[in-house]
Amino acid sequence: MDSEEEYIYESDSGNESSENDGIGLEFDSDEGVGGAGGAIGKYKDLDEYPFEVLSTEEITKHMIDCIKEVNNVVNIPITTTRILLNHFRWDKEKLMERFYDGDQESLFHEAHVISPYKTPKQQTKDVSKSTGMEECDICLLKMPSAMMTGIECGHRFCTSCWTDYLTTKIMDEGMGQTISCAAHGCVILVDDQTVMKLLKDSKVKLKYQHLITKSFVECNRLLRWCPYPDCSYIVKVQYPDARPVICRCRNVFCFSCGENWHDPVKCNLLRRWIKKCDDDSETSNWIAANTKECPKCKVTIEKDGGCNHMVCKSLSCKADFCWVCLGPWEPHGSSWYSCNRYDEFEAKQARDAQEKSRASLQRYLFYCNRYMNHMQSLKFEHKLYASVKEKMEEMQQHNMSWIEVQFLKKAVDILCECRQTLMYTYVFAYYLRKNNQSVIFEDNQRDLETATETLSEYLERDITQENLADIKQKVQDKYRYCDQRRRKLLEHVHEGYDKDWWDYSDP
Amino acid sequence: MADIAVQRIKKELKEVIESDEIQRCNIFVELADDDYQDLRGKIAGPSDTPYEGGTFHLEIKIPKSYPFKPPKVKFLTRIWHPNISSATGAICLDILQDEWAASMTLRTVLLSLQALLAAAEPDDPQDEMVARQYRNNYPLFFKTAQYWTYFHAGGENSNSEFTEKVQSLKDMGVSDTRALIALSSCNWEMLQAVEEIFS
Repeated sequence: MDSEEEYIYESDSGNESSENDGIGLEFDSDEGVGGAGGAIGKYKDLDEYPFEVLSTEEITKHMIDCIKEVNNVVNIPITTTRILLNHFRWDKEKLMERFYDGDQESLFHEAHVISPYKTPKQQTKDVSKSTGMEECDICLLKMPSAMMTGIECGHRFCTSCWTDYLTTKIMDEGMGQTISCAAHGCVILVDDQTVMKLLKDSKVKLKYQHLITKSFVECNRLLRWCPYPDCSYIVKVQYPDARPVICRCRNVFCFSCGENWHDPVKCNLLRRWIKKCDDDSETSNWIAANTKECPKCKVTIEKDGGCNHMVCKSLSCKADFCWVCLGPWEPHGSSWYSCNRYDEFEAKQARDAQEKSRASLQRYLFYCNRYMNHMQSLKFEHKLYASVKEKMEEMQQHNMSWIEVQFLKKAVDILCECRQTLMYTYVFAYYLRKNNQSVIFEDNQRDLETATETLSEYLERDITQENLADIKQKVQDKYRYCDQRRRKLLEHVHEGYDKDWWDYSDP
Repeated sequence: MADIAVQRIKKELKEVIESDEIQRCNIFVELADDDYQDLRGKIAGPSDTPYEGGTFHLEIKIPKSYPFKPPKVKFLTRIWHPNISSATGAICLDILQDEWAASMTLRTVLLSLQALLAAAEPDDPQDEMVARQYRNNYPLFFKTAQYWTYFHAGGENSNSEFTEKVQSLKDMGVSDTRALIALSSCNWEMLQAVEEIFS
């Protein structure tokens, strides 16, 4: 069984950045693993948040380990265990509980598998005894029985139709774990070993494995893909929380929402903000006009026909809701639509909101400008790294030791951190209602802003041999001050979260 | 077009032509072009329904990945039915979407559509206006659907009151199809229909 499982995933490992598996995967020696921890430490002075970074191969192994672990206990075919685990969104405890407490038959039924304790029924329809031929219901051709196959439910089709069917499901519909038998109304799921056996094209096989891994990661609340473009690492935590994690690609992101680490603002406000910011573009106008968000998982949905009964296609959501009112679908079936009734009160609210929106636009632009400005500067600071590096090399040729010039890099590090924090303070401030604490926050913000700008100026200024000692002192003083102010600002906001100081408005 | 799709369509056309239903239930399908992508279907309105006596034409488009993807079907003949758009003929039927299975055929699709005409599903409406009338005033829905069958699908049951109302809107310079839609969606209230057309 083991070798089979590993064989199935063998080719997957070929694709996903396995070249990083060697020494290259380790951090450069001067930064080391400690350096990575240090980066987090700089972002948030909080108690430890343990996490590890896994490659796609490691995640596959992790997935197989999960299956094996459960299988050691329940002792049913590995393919069935996988389907059951997926049904419970990879929650082992929940599966075990149901397996031993409840009615196993109904469990298998619910998870769309045939009970492994039943002997599979062989469907022997239309086999003409003399010729040993069967008709395939898909291509409507008569085939020798040897060319026909099926899963435990007993529906049989010819292997080439199976291959085409699975290929369509995988390539066109992006289905992995949840492909059901091709027969009408049959909900029994096709297990991964059968799929791999029937697929011929290696591209399709690869996509299938990818989909399986993807659904494993997405369904699992302790895992998250690194959101950095083209990065295929996965971060695994011990409990989900809005905390910064750092990937092997050095991308620092929030585990809870996957955005860049955004302290001090919280995930939900940031999501609202990003959506708002995107609202300018044409694409977003189209999105606003033609799509809605799934009320449960917030994924963006376009309706391209059919009735108003929506079923979210997101792998981990599958919410039933009404397109018109975005309420749950259930009541619609029996009590008719009440969501189509024109609500005078709501309509008036909508009109008032429109008037308000003009005023709030001004306010929004104010914050957005500052947010964008820092984001833009942050992009330039990355260029600064390059020029600073040059400068550091130059200095080392003028009788300065390596250690003596490190302050420059450190200064740029801090500058970037300050810019990033400042950027998100404007998001926070935008939603913040004015009170005594918010005034203190704004003071902190202004202070940090001024100091950051000065630091930036120092770094961009020509640093020559003559003024070196002087400027070094200045830069060091300034970055220490910035760093300290940044920490104070964050501490203040966090204290506010703990003590419930912050009031949000809904502009 | 994949071989399997063409092969299937050829067999299916034969199946429909040879089947008993062609006599009993009156379903029909033919090619609209030579490359097996575009077909035309016909179904007769089932008896004891407002669609009795009408012939409904369908447009059937075969996708490249047929039969692994459902055919795209819509009504070319306008019809007053909760699950079929009165404006575009689009159909809300599970087997044409998620519930499609590769082992289904054009014959099963046509028979399912015929069954849909006999038993509407107002809980999952495509045309909310029609569905509302179906739920709130079934007798009026029945008469309206019957009149649409007469008007668009060659049914025999006319309705002199409705004809009169359509005529008087026509006298105001409105096309008869436009008049029919407006009147039907306003429960045949003249004033409301006029308002809807001219506002």
